[in-house]
Amino acid sequence: METNSFDAIVVGSGMSGGWAAKELTEKGLKTLVLERGRMVRHGEYPTATKDPWDLPYGNRITQETRRRKPVQTRTGYPTPANQHWFVDDIDNPYVEEQPFDWLRGYHVGGRSLMWARQSYRFGPLDFEANAKEGVGVPWPVTYDEIAPWYDKVETFAGISGSVEGLYQLPDGKFLPPHDLNCVEVDFKKRLDEKLGRKLIIGRCANLTAPLTHSESPQRGTCQARNMCIRGCPYGGYFSSVSSTLPSAERTGNMTLKPNQIVYELIYDNDKGRATGVRVLDAETGKQTDYFAKIVFLCASAMGSAYIMLNSTSSRFPNGFGNDSGELGHNIMDHNKPGNSNASVEGYLDVAYTGRRPNGFYIPRYRNVGKDKRDYLRGFGYQGRAQRATFSRFNDNALIGAELKQAVQEPGPWNVSMTAFGEILPHHDNHMRLDRDKKDKHGLPLLVVNAVVRENERKMEVDMKNDAAEMLEAAGFKNVTVKSDSYNVGNSIHESGTARMGADPKKSVLNKFNQVHACKNVFVTDGSFMPSFGCQNPSLSYMAFTARAADHAVAELKKGNL
Amino acid sequence: MSDAHDDTSPEMLERRAILRRAAWMLGGAVSAPAALAILQGCSAKQTPVTAAAPDLKFLSPAQLDVVAEIADIMIPKTDTSGAQDAGVPAFIDLMLADVYDKAAQDRFSSGFAQFAAGAALAASGKPFLEQNRGQRTEFVKQALEQALGAKQDGKPFILMTRELTLLGFFTSQAGITENMDYEAVPTIYHGCVPLAQMKKPVYWE
Repeated sequence: METNSFDAIVVGSGMSGGWAAKELTEKGLKTLVLERGRMVRHGEYPTATKDPWDLPYGNRITQETRRRKPVQTRTGYPTPANQHWFVDDIDNPYVEEQPFDWLRGYHVGGRSLMWARQSYRFGPLDFEANAKEGVGVPWPVTYDEIAPWYDKVETFAGISGSVEGLYQLPDGKFLPPHDLNCVEVDFKKRLDEKLGRKLIIGRCANLTAPLTHSESPQRGTCQARNMCIRGCPYGGYFSSVSSTLPSAERTGNMTLKPNQIVYELIYDNDKGRATGVRVLDAETGKQTDYFAKIVFLCASAMGSAYIMLNSTSSRFPNGFGNDSGELGHNIMDHNKPGNSNASVEGYLDVAYTGRRPNGFYIPRYRNVGKDKRDYLRGFGYQGRAQRATFSRFNDNALIGAELKQAVQEPGPWNVSMTAFGEILPHHDNHMRLDRDKKDKHGLPLLVVNAVVRENERKMEVDMKNDAAEMLEAAGFKNVTVKSDSYNVGNSIHESGTARMGADPKKSVLNKFNQVHACKNVFVTDGSFMPSFGCQNPSLSYMAFTARAADHAVAELKKGNL
Repeated sequence: MSDAHDDTSPEMLERRAILRRAAWMLGGAVSAPAALAILQGCSAKQTPVTAAAPDLKFLSPAQLDVVAEIADIMIPKTDTSGAQDAGVPAFIDLMLADVYDKAAQDRFSSGFAQFAAGAALAASGKPFLEQNRGQRTEFVKQALEQALGAKQDGKPFILMTRELTLLGFFTSQAGITENMDYEAVPTIYHGCVPLAQMKKPVYWE
């Protein structure tokens, strides 16, 4: 019989929602997963096996797609091979008081289908920084507390990487690392010898070897196609569609409903807890209430904060759980002010085979150990060395049979790398609702206003100078450091809108991702981050979600929720 | 369209255009003389073939012929397919129509007119397609070198055409599979392999 009552409701089916669904259902909770977008089942990836000639327009974006998806396409991420995973901006508007690149995937799996798969732990340096420096609120969780949860999610998801023993970037439970290529190996050596800096292979959620467990029989190893963003029919990378949702489904405890837009939490003033969520059907507009003992908000940092800001009551006139006034504030991302390039002489008798879905990583070294700068925190670089392909002949006069012959030789090597810098939490970087402006569902528009500030600007100087210094130290030529304009959101790491902290006056969530003022609501997407490191954050969302689910079930059993 | 193609659309040019389109329609399997036979008696203006020709979305038939010839000069048929075998002319038309913005379209159109006028001027008034292959090749080379040497706002016509030709060709099945070692499923990445041990060149895009 159709019922609207469950043990748990999970809002969102992406990186965090998938983990919440898996953990809660495996612990026996009848769990409703609500996804605002369309259904996607593992294997339903329409472009995944298309050859280059099967894609229209040489895989370039058309003006019509640009017209429908002006925000998504201005970032350069969508192509005909993957554009179906990016939202229609006209149908899904928001207000940019400052330019904000809000990349969204409204479908089952969310952005876990499109993510770049880079998977790094935050370390003691990150968890201690706010407290030591008096920035924002102290993390209420230590590295030692979260480390076992990193172990768990790495093992299940399958993270490849190398063991390096770095304090600022703790090692994890790794599958074998991808190869660095010939140029990257020498780059690594020279950085180590000349500057004492590390270059390592990226740590990524691609299966370089079979998983060490048998809980995901649908997943095979990475086939080195580097088409991950289309969805992988081999299950070669981690997404909620390939991994956590199938696990949840297998328990028989999950009900997954797509096209359900959660717009409000239902709060019972007498009981002092949430009783469920209000939903609009994205296709029919039908309104439904669903009820549960606990609610996990995993709708993304902007999405979850939106639902909370839109959930007002006499108890929470300024938004759900917003006693601190911090809900929707302290938006962070990773500052990415431009990439750096250089050409590489030599190495013409070597190349690589296969298409590696990964690059190199230069972990943070600024403000680590004895290094002290005139700004706080630091940055890391992601990049790769590669041989040029046919497009190197675009601006070139060679023609005819000679051109065809020349294209058949691999081009010269080049190196490119991009710095990702930590952005400090700042109260003024915020989102709110504009109730006078409505979307097609009649829901208020989200307004966002976030910029990079003084500390980030100071750091940018090092991000650029250091890139040039490293590329030159390696002996590369024609070093170019670009200054691209960066909009907050462009790293697709938006976060911080419902930060966790020990003090309910200054934070929205407690150390277990529970809303301070309403303990049966958990928020486990990027919203909870009180600071942001310079590492890609998804692995941390997985770990904190698994830990929160464990806590939620324990508290339920104790009768505390 | 602009008056761009008026510079290159005398009756003879139209006739050639029809022949070329007929050849593409027939998949290149019919020789030019055979196509000519098919068309014998057709006046260019009657255009029985134009009606059946591939739908053009941006270029005029006359422009398409010039662009197709430039693409063919850049990537000719040798022991492997050339740009026309790979469908590059139709690709360029589609890209201009659907992918390029208005500013780039306008730059292409005005650049085309300049190219056509310049080509005729360089050959005592003979339109580009009426010149022999050697003359045409020489003019394309000159146009490329001139464009590469000049500082310009936006990519000039000849380099737009070149970029589209390379993109169209090396995303086509013929362009990729006949010129590169394309593996849809490489299965594994090897980071450092001597070229001597590789089938080359590997398709890495």
